[in-house]
Parts: sequence; C-alpha cells; structure tokens
Amino acid sequence: MGWRQWKGAVRVNNTLLVARREYVERIRTKGFLVMTVLVPLILVGIGFAVSMVNGHSNGTKIVIVSADRHFADDLAEELKTASHGTATAEIVSQPKDGMRSELNARLKERGLDGYLWVTPAAAAGVRPTFEWTPKAKADIVTQSNISSAIRSTLTREGLLRSGMSGAEVESLLKPVDLDSTEAGKPSGLASLASVYAIFFIMYFTIVQYGMNVSRSIIEEKSSRIFEVLLSTIKPEEMLAGKVLGVGAVGLTQIGIWVGAALAYFKFALVATGMQFPLSGVQMIAFIVFFLLGYTLFSSVAAALGAMCSSEQELQQLNMVLMLPLILCSVFIFRIITDSDGLLAKAFSFFPFTTPLIMYVRISVKQPPTWQIALSVFDLVVAIAVVIWLASKIYRVGILMYGKKPNLPEIMRWLKYS
Amino acid sequence: MAIVELQNIRKVYDAKVAVEGLSLMIEPGTMFGLLGPNGSGKSSTIRMMIGITQPDSGTVRLFDQPFDRKALHRIGYLPEERGLYKKMKVIDQLVFLGQLHGLDAVTANKRAHAWCERMQISDAIEKKTEELSKGMQQKIQFIASLLHEPDLIIMDEPFSGLDPVNATLLMDTLVELRKRGKTILFSTHRMDQVEKLCDSIALISRGKLVLSGTMRAVKSSYPKNRVQVYFEGDAGFLNHPSIESAKNYSGMAEIKLAGSAPDAQPLLAAAVNGGTRINRFEVMEPTLEEIFIERVGPDGLETVEGSRARE
Repeated sequence: MGWRQWKGAVRVNNTLLVARREYVERIRTKGFLVMTVLVPLILVGIGFAVSMVNGHSNGTKIVIVSADRHFADDLAEELKTASHGTATAEIVSQPKDGMRSELNARLKERGLDGYLWVTPAAAAGVRPTFEWTPKAKADIVTQSNISSAIRSTLTREGLLRSGMSGAEVESLLKPVDLDSTEAGKPSGLASLASVYAIFFIMYFTIVQYGMNVSRSIIEEKSSRIFEVLLSTIKPEEMLAGKVLGVGAVGLTQIGIWVGAALAYFKFALVATGMQFPLSGVQMIAFIVFFLLGYTLFSSVAAALGAMCSSEQELQQLNMVLMLPLILCSVFIFRIITDSDGLLAKAFSFFPFTTPLIMYVRISVKQPPTWQIALSVFDLVVAIAVVIWLASKIYRVGILMYGKKPNLPEIMRWLKYS
Repeated sequence: MAIVELQNIRKVYDAKVAVEGLSLMIEPGTMFGLLGPNGSGKSSTIRMMIGITQPDSGTVRLFDQPFDRKALHRIGYLPEERGLYKKMKVIDQLVFLGQLHGLDAVTANKRAHAWCERMQISDAIEKKTEELSKGMQQKIQFIASLLHEPDLIIMDEPFSGLDPVNATLLMDTLVELRKRGKTILFSTHRMDQVEKLCDSIALISRGKLVLSGTMRAVKSSYPKNRVQVYFEGDAGFLNHPSIESAKNYSGMAEIKLAGSAPDAQPLLAAAVNGGTRINRFEVMEPTLEEIFIERVGPDGLETVEGSRARE
C-alpha cells in the first residue's frame, strides 16, 4: 500500500482549529454573556450610586446670615464663581429671633448644607467673626471652599478700601494657570492617567483571562481528551491554539467594554470640551504592547496550567504570573520621572515588564525607534520560547517522562503504562 | 508489507521499564490482538506507535514507511481513557475531531450524521455530551475515531464499560470494517473477548513479548488437553490416571489432561464403563488465557485475576 492522498481536500491549520473551537465554545456560554453585560452595568451602577451619595456636590446650598449686606453679596458671588456656579448662597441680612433654631431644623431636613453666621466687627479694620455650622462635620470640602471664599472677599474689600481700582484687584486675584501641555501632546496629567488606566486594564486582564488559559488546559487534562488530540496534533499546536482562542475571548469582552466606554466618553468629552487623553502614537503603542503582553502572559499561564493538575495547585503558582506586574507598579513612579534612566531601560527590555514599561516610556517621552523595535522583538521571541517550553512541560506533565514523578504521578503513570 | 512494524522498541519511565525490546508486525487487513494484563505495557506500546511518545530506542514503521506524523491522518485511535468536551454539542465535537484528522467541515458533518444513525444515537446529535449516558459517550468516541475513514483502527480496551448489546454492535461494526480492508488493532486484558475475533495476536507481560503469531499457529502449538464433561451419576472417572487436574461442578467437570500428546478416548471409555451417564463430552483447545498463564506462570495468573477483579 503506498501513500494515498488524505481524504478531505481542505487542511485547516491545527492551531487555528483548536483556537476556533475554544473561542466559539466560550463565546456561546451564558457566563460570557452575563459577564459582558453585567460588569459594565455594575460599574455604571456604582458610578450612579456614588453620585447619588455625593449628591450635594452638584449643588451646595448654604445660608449666609450677615448684617453687612454688601459683604454677604460679595461672598455669595465669590462662592458662586469659585464653584463654577454649583454653590448657591441664600442671604439673610436681618436675622429674626429664633433664626438659629429655624436654620438647624432646615439642616436636618437636608435642604441645606450648612449656614454661616457672620458677626460684624465691633470696630473698623477688625475682622468680623465667622461661625460655620455644616450639616455634616466631615464635609471639609465645602468648609475649605467657604474659608477660601471668605479670604478672597476680605482681601478684595481690603484692597478696594486701600484705593486700588476694581480692574487691578480682579487681575491680582485671578487664578493662576500652570500650563504643562507640551506641543502636540495631551496634558501630562491626562497621559499619567492613561498610563495608570492601561496598567490596571492589563493587570485585570491578565489575572482574569490569563488564568482562563491555565484553567482550560487543566480541564483538558482532567477530561483526558488530550490523548485523542495528541494522536493527530502536536502539543505545541494545541497550546498555541488554546492561548489564541481563550485570549481572543478575553479580547472580545474587553473590546466590547472599551468600545462602550469610548462611546460613553465621547459624549462626555464633547459635553465638557475636553481633549481625548491619548495621542495617535499612544494608541498604537497601547494596542501593540497590550496584545503582545497579553499573549506573553497567557503563554506563561499555559505553562503553569501544564504543570498543575488542579486549580488549587495553580493558585500557588499565580504569584509567578503576578510578580513582574507588581514589580512594575512598585517602580512606575521612578520610571515616569526618569524615562531614559537605566532602570527604565532595563525594565523595558526585560520581556515580562516590557509591555507596561515600554508603553510608559513612549507615553512620557518617545524613546529611539530601535529601542521600541528591539522591545517588540524581545516580546515575540519570549512568546515563542514560553510556548515551546510550555508544550514540553505539558507533554511531561501528562505523560510523565524524564521527570521525577511525585506520588500521585506514579499512581497515574501505573494506570497508563 | 506491514501496516505497523515495531522493531525492538524500549521505553523507560523514570526508573520503571514500561516496554522492553518489543517487536511486532501487523499485516494489512487483519484484526490484531495486543493482549496482556493491566500494566503490561499495552498502552505505552500504542502511544509509541502513534507518536504521542517516542521510544527510547528501537524503530516504529507505519504503512511500510519510517514513522511520519503525516501518517497519523490514516489512523483512528480510541484511547483507553475516554474523554470528550463535556459542554460541547455532539455534532460540533465530531466535526471538530474530524477536522483535526484532515476532513473538511461539510464532509465531517455528513459522515457524523451517517455514523450516528448507524450507531442508533441520532437523538443525541444536538445534545451536549454531559447530558448523555456513559454508553452513548462511548459510541460517540468510537465514531470520532472512525470519521476520517482510517486505514488503521486502534482500539484500546474498546469494550470496557459497554453493555453486551452495544459491545456486539461495536464488534459487528469492526468486523465489517475489516471486510472492507481496514486493519484493526485491539488492545485488551480481556482475552476471552477477542479470542474469536483476532487473526493474529501478541501476548505481552511486563513490557515484554511472551508470544505472537496467527491465532491458528498459537493455538495449534498447544495440545488439545481440555475436556468439558456434562454427566449424571458416579463421578469416579475423574480419578482416571490420564487426568492432570479436574474441577467438578456437580454435573459438569472441567478437566485438564496430562502429557504432551493427550488422548481423551480412554477417559471417555472409563466413564461409560463405570456406569456414568455422559450428556456431553467435548475435547477443546486451551483458551488464550490458559496459554498465557501457562507461559508466564503463577505471577501472570495473579495479574490477570487482579485485573479482572478491578473491572
């Protein structure tokens, strides 16, 4: 009998077949749907709840009791400007008897955030006394706003009294803007925020989805289906397929969330007139380093899964995965402040910290192109090596050879010999 | 030519030798029995045959060629430990496994439906594996190993866990596949189950080949020294000098005759003369299990019985 052509003309790549199965089966589960819908809902819910609790910040309402009507008006105006119109003050210039108890009652009804009792000075040139009664003692934000408004008002009045013109006073008291925006780049604050955002997105994704890769491999080991699979495909193909398939599920979910968030922020940003916090270069860097980093860590997770035979065992090895990320979070401040320093460079070429640190460096101050290229190359090589190692471990792990087996392994080995 | 040819293969796991200097040859179009107690190296041998592991030394040839992964698409394998994706629909599962064996989705789908009908599990096609009975899952795995119409079918303990009806259905299917020219390799510790089926066998014990050859040759190399008697009356004939050992189950006796060229005739005469009524008197060749025990001794016996008890 000679070599016959295999039946079935189409030969789809094994890795892609495994990846597709993994992807389709996972996307179809109820768990995926629930998570995809529920997580944003919960986040929105939390946001809503927070804004409900902090409801008064949308409109602080206080009462100023002052015999000096002119001063009270100035103070109210100052408060309104400083708070961008969110704080309003009601002025009582001629307090009746029992005013205090009436105000106290209003505080309890929650219609009022506090009242300020101004007792005019006995002599000219002496400060009046102020008595602030807040609804909540802990509301130090409102208290400090009022305190600074009073100071400004007093300063303004003092300056006017000493003979300066209104315009001169205004220009003196105008708030100072520190311009930290570099040409062509969004403000430093926004890019710092985006660095943190990417850090947490990556951290979360790796914990949540990288672990899915290990779990999926453990599941396959315990269902023993691998024996049928390995009779046609190589462990490398199978592991690579798992990483791609399970990884793609995570990316799909995050893609949906990020898409929804972007759509939401687009409205929010347009409404507030703010600039999108990421530049084009940052966006590309984000996508490239996120994908590569995710693949690398998923491959490590695959190797961990290949080593373990149960989820409990896996938990103990989780630290291996987390350590580089934790390291990044410890040094991130030094790296942001000195993005060309030795530490930053070393971290950006060590594959397990490259994705986060290189992104940070690109965000802060773009390093030379060859360094970026080298870091990408590093990552790709690391991914290939890790997958190769993982498949070795996998083969040893399931078929027990060339390795000192522990007791349960010997038991299993006896069963399969 | 041979479909499978193993030459002096050896496999050591850590300190334990799993397979030691094993050679065997499987001719095309035959049913081949790889027999031996549990833990004797059957599964290890199969794994080396299909490239799941590599032998430490020795060579494997498939389809008259040196081992090549490409040849794996011509092999259907039913492992001893069954496993399917629990949450996956039966049809998706079969199509996936078919595709891994080189089929396109359409062909795999068509064949999966045809096979499920033939195996009388068409109802299960749209269900998830976890909803099915053990026997049905076995059938699905059986189908999965045949979907790509392999030239060599390897079945590791195919009947374990199957009820007699399904075991017969499976056996009939395999017999029919052989008629169509496929080569079938059985691996089992239940020697009685494959005795009637196999053309050739290899008996292994502790990783070593005990004996091999065609069933006819193996059997005929052992004397016909077993006698089964159904009788009424006096059991005194069981003390006849030609008998090496006998078991009397009141009315039925299993006898092993002494000597290398035994003759049951004097025994029958003695029984009739002694006034015993003989309802049935049958001279038989030894079973595979008896041959096996004879070859490997009491230790082998223990292993065989041990594996029986486990089942």
